[in-house]
Amino acid sequence: MKSEKIEEILKNIGNNDVPADVHKIAEDVSNDFSKTLTQPGHIVLGDYIMKSRFTKIAVAAAAIIIVLFVGLPFVGKKDQGVALADVLARVEQAQAYIYKMNMTMTGMPNAPTGKQQMQGTITVSTEYGMKMDMDIIDPNSGREMFQQMYVLPYKKEAYMIMPEMKKYTRMEFTDDLLARMKKQNNDPREIIKQIMGCQYTELGRSAIDGIEVEGFQTTDPAMMVGMGGDIKYTLWVDVENWLPVHAEMDIKMNEQMEMQCVIYDFTWDIPVSASDFEPVIPEDFTGFPTEGMKMPEMTEQAAIEGLRFIVELSEEYPKKLDLINLMQDIRKLKDSKTAAAEQLQQKLKEASSEEEIANRTMEIMKPIQSLGMFYMSLVQDKKEPVYYGESVEPGDGSAVLLRWKVSDGQYRVIFGDLTTADVTAEQLAELESLLPK
Amino acid sequence: MKFSRQAEIFERARTKYTRFLASVLWRLTGDRELFTEAMQYALMGMWQHIGKLNGKKAHVYIYRIALSANSTAWRNRIGRDGQLKRNNASFEKSPDDKLDRDEIAILVRREICRLPTKQAKAIVMRYLEQQDYQAIAESLSCTEVGARSHVSKALATLKSRLAALT
Repeated sequence: MKSEKIEEILKNIGNNDVPADVHKIAEDVSNDFSKTLTQPGHIVLGDYIMKSRFTKIAVAAAAIIIVLFVGLPFVGKKDQGVALADVLARVEQAQAYIYKMNMTMTGMPNAPTGKQQMQGTITVSTEYGMKMDMDIIDPNSGREMFQQMYVLPYKKEAYMIMPEMKKYTRMEFTDDLLARMKKQNNDPREIIKQIMGCQYTELGRSAIDGIEVEGFQTTDPAMMVGMGGDIKYTLWVDVENWLPVHAEMDIKMNEQMEMQCVIYDFTWDIPVSASDFEPVIPEDFTGFPTEGMKMPEMTEQAAIEGLRFIVELSEEYPKKLDLINLMQDIRKLKDSKTAAAEQLQQKLKEASSEEEIANRTMEIMKPIQSLGMFYMSLVQDKKEPVYYGESVEPGDGSAVLLRWKVSDGQYRVIFGDLTTADVTAEQLAELESLLPK
Repeated sequence: MKFSRQAEIFERARTKYTRFLASVLWRLTGDRELFTEAMQYALMGMWQHIGKLNGKKAHVYIYRIALSANSTAWRNRIGRDGQLKRNNASFEKSPDDKLDRDEIAILVRREICRLPTKQAKAIVMRYLEQQDYQAIAESLSCTEVGARSHVSKALATLKSRLAALT
């Protein structure tokens, strides 16, 4: 086709008369639609999300896994931080250890209003994985709910058991997420490595419970790689054996969302066996979802699907891609009036049970989680991602929406129409110069 | 807004715009199955934005609803990989038409739904509805020069995309 014919083609399309039977189809569709408008009100996606306690739990489970294993990225050896390097070396000698954690969360998406408190005991084994016993306190009723979580990297799965409801959730890890987990080996070790990769200050000596300790503190945003928000992380280590004694984490995601976490009561080099990490699920407990829940993928394609999905629902790109902001965007979807959002709400409306609603909701959230996790992986892998969601319109094939470095002088670009290309640094500079200021 | 009031405005708008929607969506889809889907999305859009169809600018907003409905229907048809699902594409062909002309028209329609909103609206009003630049400018809340610019950019985008595809 010769491209100069485009005007002619458009005029020909415009000259097409509408066949009589097409007018009839339009009338029929219009009349059928009108007949369906008998019930006032409509179902709102967000309402389903907020009302379903199964959804809350499953969403929380997924969020915890993400935070535990993606939010604590692998950081290679650094030259700085000699003292912390000693701490790390000492911690890495421990094959298994146990510690306690108190967490307070405010304004988290899909959680009850008020402060949500969680107290947990965490057992970590290099060989077998991680087990977490949690008491979650409902801020409204004050009721405690016990939950257990097992993260078993070498089985590629995690379990969340909810005894009160006689339910359990089995989550399968994708290969890329698992690869990250294997690098990370759980918790304090990674936190130490991460602090070592950040700007931190030495707080000097102090005493905690009669133990002489030395402190390290960071407020470097790099600690929050790809998650968004401000952080203050303080770690106190025993000056005698260079093992962590106490840690405090204060994260302010935005005006509404805050999280405080205290880690304490460490016991090092405890004996563990494989049976300690075997989930105990009574026979009368049922799986939820029945077929298990796959963790979101972290690939470029999955991220593109996430972007496409959000545009369909909201007709615009998310302003930011960090997980915290994306989680907030999920909240906003309840106000979306697009046809796609309405279609989703209709799907939820057709669900026959609360569990089915939760299953469908998790499916809805998966592409959004994939997008956030992909972006987080780019930040963690130091691929210099830059995102222009605030200025790029959906469908704009000439505007760079997201780009990241693939090698020296080479970048990968996702454009506003969600097509992709590999470009040189010079080409990227030219493309970025055309973006609206 | 009360349901009864919402339903009343919707019925009025439906009566007024069904023929218009049929005209625009048929030209943008060219296929009965796709048309039916787009029509359903458009009606859903009208219901959701009924407040905006009760004012002086209703005629402007109805274009936006039609284009959004068309884009959604096309996206469902095009699929994840951005390629047409050939086995589902029961596009209308008159016996006298050449196959490549039909295929090109399909490509043009597909690419229109991927244009930025204002460009898509401008091109539809100018070529599919054969409206003048003054009407386009009024609908897009811009100057006539601005309307020309939107049409020009849309044509350039369509040309380059089609050149790459054919």
